[in-house]
Amino acid sequence: MKNSSGLNETLKWLRQTNRSAFKFQIETWQHIYNNESGLVNAPTGCGKTYSVFLGSIIKFINNNPADFQTICNSGLQVLWVTPLRALATDIARAMEEVIEGIGLKWKVGIRNGDTSISERKRQKSQMPEVLIITPESLHLLLAQKGSLYFFTNLSVLVVDEWHALLGSKRGVQVELAISRILGNVKVNNKICIWGLSATIGNLTEAKSVLLKPTGRNGEIVKANMEKQVEIISVFPDEIENFPWSGHLGLNLVSKIIPIIKKYRTTLVFINTRGMAEVWYQALLNHCPDLAGVIALHHGSIDSELRSWIEENLNSGSLKVVVCTSSLDLGVDFRPVETVIQVGSPKGVARFLQRAGRSGHQPDAVSRIYFLPTHSLELLEAAALKAAISENMMESREPKLMCFDVLIQYLNTLAVGDGFIPDLVFEEVKSTFSFGEITRQEFDDVIYFISQGGKAFQEYDAFRKVEKEGELYKINSRKIAMRHLLHIGTIVSDSMLKVKLISGGYVGVIEEYFISRLEPGDVFSLAGFHLEYVMIKEMTVLVRKSKIKKAKVPSWNGGRMSLSANLGKVLRHQLNLVTDVKSVLSEELKILSPLFEIQKQLSHVPNENELLIEHIETKDGFHLFVYPFEGRLVHEAMAAILAFRISRIRPITFSLAMNDYGFELLSDQPIPVDDTNIYELFSLKNLLNDIQRSVNSSEMARRKFRDIAVIGGLIFQGMPGEKKKARHLQASASLLFNVLSEYDSGHLLLRQAFSEVMEQQMEEQRLREMLERVQQSKIIITYPAKLTPFCFPIKVDSMREDLSSEKLEDRVRKMQVELGA
Amino acid sequence: MFNPIPHKIEGNTFWISQERCLYWEDQNALILADMHLGKAGHFRSKGVSVPQKAGVADLQRLIAQLFLFKADRVIIVGDFTHSVYNKELSLFNKWRHDFPLFQFDLIRGNHDILEDHWYVETQIQIHKKELRIDNFCFRHEFMEDDPLKDTRDSAFVFSGHVHPAIRMSGKGRQTISLPCFYFTEKHCILPAFSKFTGMYKVQPKQGDIVYAITDNEIIRKT
Repeated sequence: MKNSSGLNETLKWLRQTNRSAFKFQIETWQHIYNNESGLVNAPTGCGKTYSVFLGSIIKFINNNPADFQTICNSGLQVLWVTPLRALATDIARAMEEVIEGIGLKWKVGIRNGDTSISERKRQKSQMPEVLIITPESLHLLLAQKGSLYFFTNLSVLVVDEWHALLGSKRGVQVELAISRILGNVKVNNKICIWGLSATIGNLTEAKSVLLKPTGRNGEIVKANMEKQVEIISVFPDEIENFPWSGHLGLNLVSKIIPIIKKYRTTLVFINTRGMAEVWYQALLNHCPDLAGVIALHHGSIDSELRSWIEENLNSGSLKVVVCTSSLDLGVDFRPVETVIQVGSPKGVARFLQRAGRSGHQPDAVSRIYFLPTHSLELLEAAALKAAISENMMESREPKLMCFDVLIQYLNTLAVGDGFIPDLVFEEVKSTFSFGEITRQEFDDVIYFISQGGKAFQEYDAFRKVEKEGELYKINSRKIAMRHLLHIGTIVSDSMLKVKLISGGYVGVIEEYFISRLEPGDVFSLAGFHLEYVMIKEMTVLVRKSKIKKAKVPSWNGGRMSLSANLGKVLRHQLNLVTDVKSVLSEELKILSPLFEIQKQLSHVPNENELLIEHIETKDGFHLFVYPFEGRLVHEAMAAILAFRISRIRPITFSLAMNDYGFELLSDQPIPVDDTNIYELFSLKNLLNDIQRSVNSSEMARRKFRDIAVIGGLIFQGMPGEKKKARHLQASASLLFNVLSEYDSGHLLLRQAFSEVMEQQMEEQRLREMLERVQQSKIIITYPAKLTPFCFPIKVDSMREDLSSEKLEDRVRKMQVELGA
Repeated sequence: MFNPIPHKIEGNTFWISQERCLYWEDQNALILADMHLGKAGHFRSKGVSVPQKAGVADLQRLIAQLFLFKADRVIIVGDFTHSVYNKELSLFNKWRHDFPLFQFDLIRGNHDILEDHWYVETQIQIHKKELRIDNFCFRHEFMEDDPLKDTRDSAFVFSGHVHPAIRMSGKGRQTISLPCFYFTEKHCILPAFSKFTGMYKVQPKQGDIVYAITDNEIIRKT
């Protein structure tokens, strides 16, 4: 690479703009020069965009040393896949600066849901040299006839924020798209694949997943530029009066006002959208001066409003923004000097990522305040500090065998040029996600999209993908349209748009929430108090209201689960509490009165113990168990435990859980004691028991919704066709029933169950937990009243039923109780 | 299968079947609502691959009920079919051709949008607004605020349309929703006959009687 004209031109430009190249950037350029693929690991704001982009430019100049400054319409050179639309314009701006500086005739195009039709047409007739695209739009591009032609000159394919895509179905979309491009572009044109990723626990695996279709090992380039992070806990004045449970943490609002005042701009991260609405109001009430310089940012707020907020964050005209994970990723806002995390961030990596949103000046320290929403969360603060000092990052597990994504993808190809199964099978099998797919499974998918499963042909009208010679295609324009509209549908409960009567969209809201409102009721969204007027054509019409008290919408959004990583550190923190000799951190010192109460009423377990509490209240008989393994594992464990207990004697439970433990609640005494406890937590027959308890619970049904939407079983309606579409609507739950009854071997149904196993039950983690329990001492206590440990679980309202009793028995019992 | 439960109204006996229909002993007639025949086929013709069996099974259940009660008349209080014509409906045509002797009465519901000749072909008698037999009235939709102005107020109304379900709850915050027959003093809302339908939860008032349907029994709740 040395002395190549590409490098010289690039270095010249860097010098002219008073920049210098970092070591990791030069390393990346060298790899791209060698036509190698790989992964760049660097935190945001450290120039990882330049690492790969300048590398592509160097390659281009070296291939066209004489006329690189004059050559026009070179075709697509760099395909830049990014998970976030919001990032696109900023990346494009940075790239254009380079292009202009070096004097290339390249054009940068953006393609996502916001791109206008005319712009898309322009791109079709002449692709820009750089195209910044979301995974969904990339699939839509593949759905265009003749689309593979676009990639003929492609030199570098970049996947930005790969850590965020990996472990999601969008990541699988990226894998499939890469397999398609690599499988169809001539071999002599070597395409380099590069991922850009923040630090995660499994970087090497992340690289392998991305590069699998290339069949190469690839390189990892590390920036080694991790920032200094300062973590400060916000303490209540008196721990005794601080609530044992809760999830809002509003009683500490007054504590953060001085923090906000002290720094230029502050981001306040809140875990759910509903809570963010409440926090926004609370901050305004506490500090009316903030009016005009405070904003609210979350996924249900209209995208225009969100971009306005982002612009103002950038320009520094906002003092504080209350946000959810919607601002986890994305462009850096330079004015942000500090970050406040309200409630548990659930994982070390996410906490660090959020901390990293502050302090962008070189050598600046990222500062993050942790505000607990209930007392025990302070324990988490201590754990986070410990984990970060030991650099314990979570892994992102890649998703395997997502048949719903595969079905969607094959339909996409069928809309475009059509596909030949034999060829596509090889491509699909070259991805990491479908590396293990058998021909039989693949043929089942083809059968599903072309025949719609088993049917009496003569009475069947199924029509989707049709076979024409060797080629499978979608010919119906309507079906094609419907499919295209479907790609990238954000999986959500039926969302309604919220619009002011006077004009202007505010955001979206769940139909479920609106259905409980009467006209005249006031709710808050995007920080406004809005009076509900009526629903018209899938739009909620509202007007602004002056009424102070408003209902807060609930979005049934995902509640995240504590990572295994953080759970482990948490348990270790308890060791410090129980060991009199240990030196306690500030957080643990503050918590000691609480642990004192826990000790008196019950017990404080160390990391080699599992605590179980039997408590009787007027609600019934409770059994609390505290494995500290996160909500998801607890959900699964609770179901399995309930199932195993119910084999001792028919008994019905309602289950509740949080990140620290879970609860079984029944109307009869629960037969668990030290004679059977190890057996109940045994690894024996685990798989069997999981399957049987999953069957009786509703986990698979809940998973099925996303799958049914992606797999094209649920149609969410087409603009302008609202009324007709209603004949095509069925709820996921109903489809689940119908499939279970009439086609129990159905591909998507099977996927729902396997997703439950892998993700919902986190089977591997569950096994590890049970192994740990078998090695540890189980301590059963009988507290006279609710303990500090159990209280947050008790008040948690997310419950589900698990029963071994026959449906009829259950109903009869309910009736007896109701006095019917 | 669970035995039907008798329910008496004005001296007539209506047997409540766990297959989501009523058998009217005095008229030897089967009463049902919201069959949504061809729904699965409609989905399939639009490229949504719902199992075809979902639609076929409903038809098989209907036929089985007819033979079980040896009824000679079927009264459908609306939404017999789901949408425009699709091949799945021809299964019904075929069966109807083999068994032409049953009398079919259909009170037209909002989903009954097939062209008239289909009803002629399948010998289904269409009633635009309602059907009256003795002091009983059959309608698709029962509206509380739109009582039977036009005739005697005392008629008892059978209707469908809403796909009623009842929510049962017990200790430990457990709940389940079951399709149900919903009887008030003056009217009865039938559950949707088709199993491929959603449900709407009803709130019974005092004095109302609800028959909830589980997989293999009927639960009476007052």
